[in-house]
Amino acid sequence: MDLKKIAQIIVLTGYLTSLDVEAAVGTPLRNGRIGFVMTDLFWAVYQTKDGREECPDGFNDGPREQFAAKFPDATERTVVETQLAQEVKTWHPTPEPDGFPFKVVEGSLSWGLNLDGSVDENDFVHPDGTPGIDNEVYRGVGCIIGFRGPDGVEFIFQNKGILDERFNRMMIELSGVDDLRNDDQVQVTFYRGLDRLLTDATGLEVMPGGTQRVDRRWGASLIRETTGSIRNGVLTTEPVADLIMPWQNLSVPSIHQFRDARLVLSVTGDGAEGLLAGYADVDTYYYQLIRNDSTHHLSNGQISSISLYRALRRFADAYPDPETGANTAISTALDVKFAQVFIVDPDRPVAELAQRR
Amino acid sequence: MRFWSDVRSGPRVRGWLKGLLWVLVVAAGPVVAVDYREEPMPPGFRVQMTELEGPVFADALGRTLYTWPQHKHRNGYSGEAAGTPACYDEVRTTTAGLMSPYPAGIELPELETRPSCTDLWPPVLADSTTEDVGKWTIVERRDGTRQWAYDEQPLYTSVRDKLPGDTIGGSLRRFGGDSPAVRVPATPPLAVPPGFAVKRTTLGLMLTTHKNDAVYAHAKDVDCDSACLADWRPLLAPRLARAQGQWGFTAPKPGIRQWTYDGKPLYAYRHDQESWAQQGSDEAGWANVYLLPAPAFPERFRVQATIAGEVLADANGRTIYLYRCGDDSADQLACDHPDDTQVYRMAMCGGGEPGRCREHWPYVEAGPDEVSPNRSWRVATVDPMSGRFVPNDSPEAVRVWTFRDRPVVTYALDRQPGDVFGDGTGEWRGQRNGLKAFWLRDDFMRGVL
Repeated sequence: MDLKKIAQIIVLTGYLTSLDVEAAVGTPLRNGRIGFVMTDLFWAVYQTKDGREECPDGFNDGPREQFAAKFPDATERTVVETQLAQEVKTWHPTPEPDGFPFKVVEGSLSWGLNLDGSVDENDFVHPDGTPGIDNEVYRGVGCIIGFRGPDGVEFIFQNKGILDERFNRMMIELSGVDDLRNDDQVQVTFYRGLDRLLTDATGLEVMPGGTQRVDRRWGASLIRETTGSIRNGVLTTEPVADLIMPWQNLSVPSIHQFRDARLVLSVTGDGAEGLLAGYADVDTYYYQLIRNDSTHHLSNGQISSISLYRALRRFADAYPDPETGANTAISTALDVKFAQVFIVDPDRPVAELAQRR
Repeated sequence: MRFWSDVRSGPRVRGWLKGLLWVLVVAAGPVVAVDYREEPMPPGFRVQMTELEGPVFADALGRTLYTWPQHKHRNGYSGEAAGTPACYDEVRTTTAGLMSPYPAGIELPELETRPSCTDLWPPVLADSTTEDVGKWTIVERRDGTRQWAYDEQPLYTSVRDKLPGDTIGGSLRRFGGDSPAVRVPATPPLAVPPGFAVKRTTLGLMLTTHKNDAVYAHAKDVDCDSACLADWRPLLAPRLARAQGQWGFTAPKPGIRQWTYDGKPLYAYRHDQESWAQQGSDEAGWANVYLLPAPAFPERFRVQATIAGEVLADANGRTIYLYRCGDDSADQLACDHPDDTQVYRMAMCGGGEPGRCREHWPYVEAGPDEVSPNRSWRVATVDPMSGRFVPNDSPEAVRVWTFRDRPVVTYALDRQPGDVFGDGTGEWRGQRNGLKAFWLRDDFMRGVL
């Protein structure tokens, strides 16, 4: 073989390789599948400038302010009467009045979805004008600065946990996808991943194109399946009856439990962004919050868990307890973002990963 | 069961290279040896083997010696700065306000029976003729008495320790940044070569690299070929390193020396994701290396998988929890032992009501035929209404399992095996006045064992 021939082969091989890479980058679908890994998760809080529209009376006090108001003479009293009394109320909460006014959202607008299919007087209106929005968690937390962006303690630290903690590495995988812009029926699977996120050189920005192994061992109980459709690049899923969302912060492994959970996401080959909405189990919501955040951390966000528990109970709007009739779950919505990721499932032949549509 | 206690005492001084001392412990399992580096030591002290901490310094009676290292809290420091005793016989009456958000100056509970720091932590005093020996030095207390210090940290014993080898007073196991300023056993340096470290865990003294990578060995003498090397990184020894005690070398290739421990070549697992990992132990034949395995759990306990790793569980698979507590006084006195005030525990587990406490966080009761397998796991009798130890024949007595003399509990809201809904309950995520699960495998929490 002469040198010219060899050179031609090299050029041709390089050309084909570049085509292959280009196609792979442009089309992350593999055998009708595409994976996304969660990178952001915030409680959806509709905010206006200074909060005057939704919180006309201002924001709530937290544990530090309530302690000072309740025990102005704390040094004249005992630990049992003061500090421990407050901690008892935190860890053994009741819906009874706590002696403090609680400021709830009074505006009419909220992010979220119409979860119950109806429109009634308790519902919010979406900023785009859609009525019937169910988001009672927002009603309870919207006037607590710790839940508000850009610097609320929950806003920052809970989401930091989503990025930093592999425990929280939730993924969705779409399968049976013919077209990422429009597809009448796709399968949606929720898994937990096992790996760190692929980031840029700063370590802060998650990049598409990473790889995640499916956690079928510790995370087996987190796997859920549903269906959905894609219209003009927006994925809408059918409800998942009981979605468990791992949400660990500061090394306390915790979860949220969402009934009738659904996703509405704008999807592209690089990622997905939108809402996760459903009914949060009230007790699970509350204990996740206080187990991950001590009274100190809650104080930094002026989050009185004692007051918030009462609000969550008051605004709970679904799944009544069969014995007491009290609702056990509360409607909510979360802002969520995903980055595209290649999912490696030990239960699936490796060859599938390499196949391209 | 017999516990081998006395080891060596007196001022034997040898070079550390030839000064390896083998300490044997007869626990429920096989004889285990742990090496430490012998250092100059004053008369009247010795090294004592313990089940949980390995070798510790002890006084002539075998009582474990403790230090109280300075610890940074949210609102200041407590513990002892080097060379400066801070534990005295005055009874503190108010909080120090070291932990946000609660202020200082609030009256502490049960003042009529509250002990002073030295009631619980008697200082190890030296007579007027004693002189410094190596790292063992004398510090002066404010009343002019002389107290022994090791590495400049004043030394104490614990009234909770009853027998030689007890470490009920404190542990070197990890405590987080918002934990109380705890007392820790004073220990001689373990004889591990440079490049290695040891972490005390619920599974024992875990060997790691100095970068906290887990260290593994294979059960058999495997020839780690190229496929094996893709997963396992041999831990190589420098050319000048010397064999010592259980540490030696193998030569997988000419000119290459790989560390061995107990005759087994040592490796790191290339796929471990975190420090102190255990993922490599999932590979057939491979296991983490422990210089001293933890004492055996009670027979009917079991290892239970959870969403975050493995926990110790009772016979029904219910997660076992330990209560932790330290008060917010300047003395940072513990409140997690049945002989301590029960006010904090009762508040957390039952809102101040003992019956509710027992309902929410039931003791793990011991069956009539169950007996203590070792010193660390012991059957004791408590009065659930007071939380105190009581004599066996007391009408209120309930036989319960204890770990380090503290009763262990389960959580009523854990509905099924694998639930860990109680983990992190209490002040400061369960670190100061609350409950933590008894973790045995940590794949996600970065070193909670």
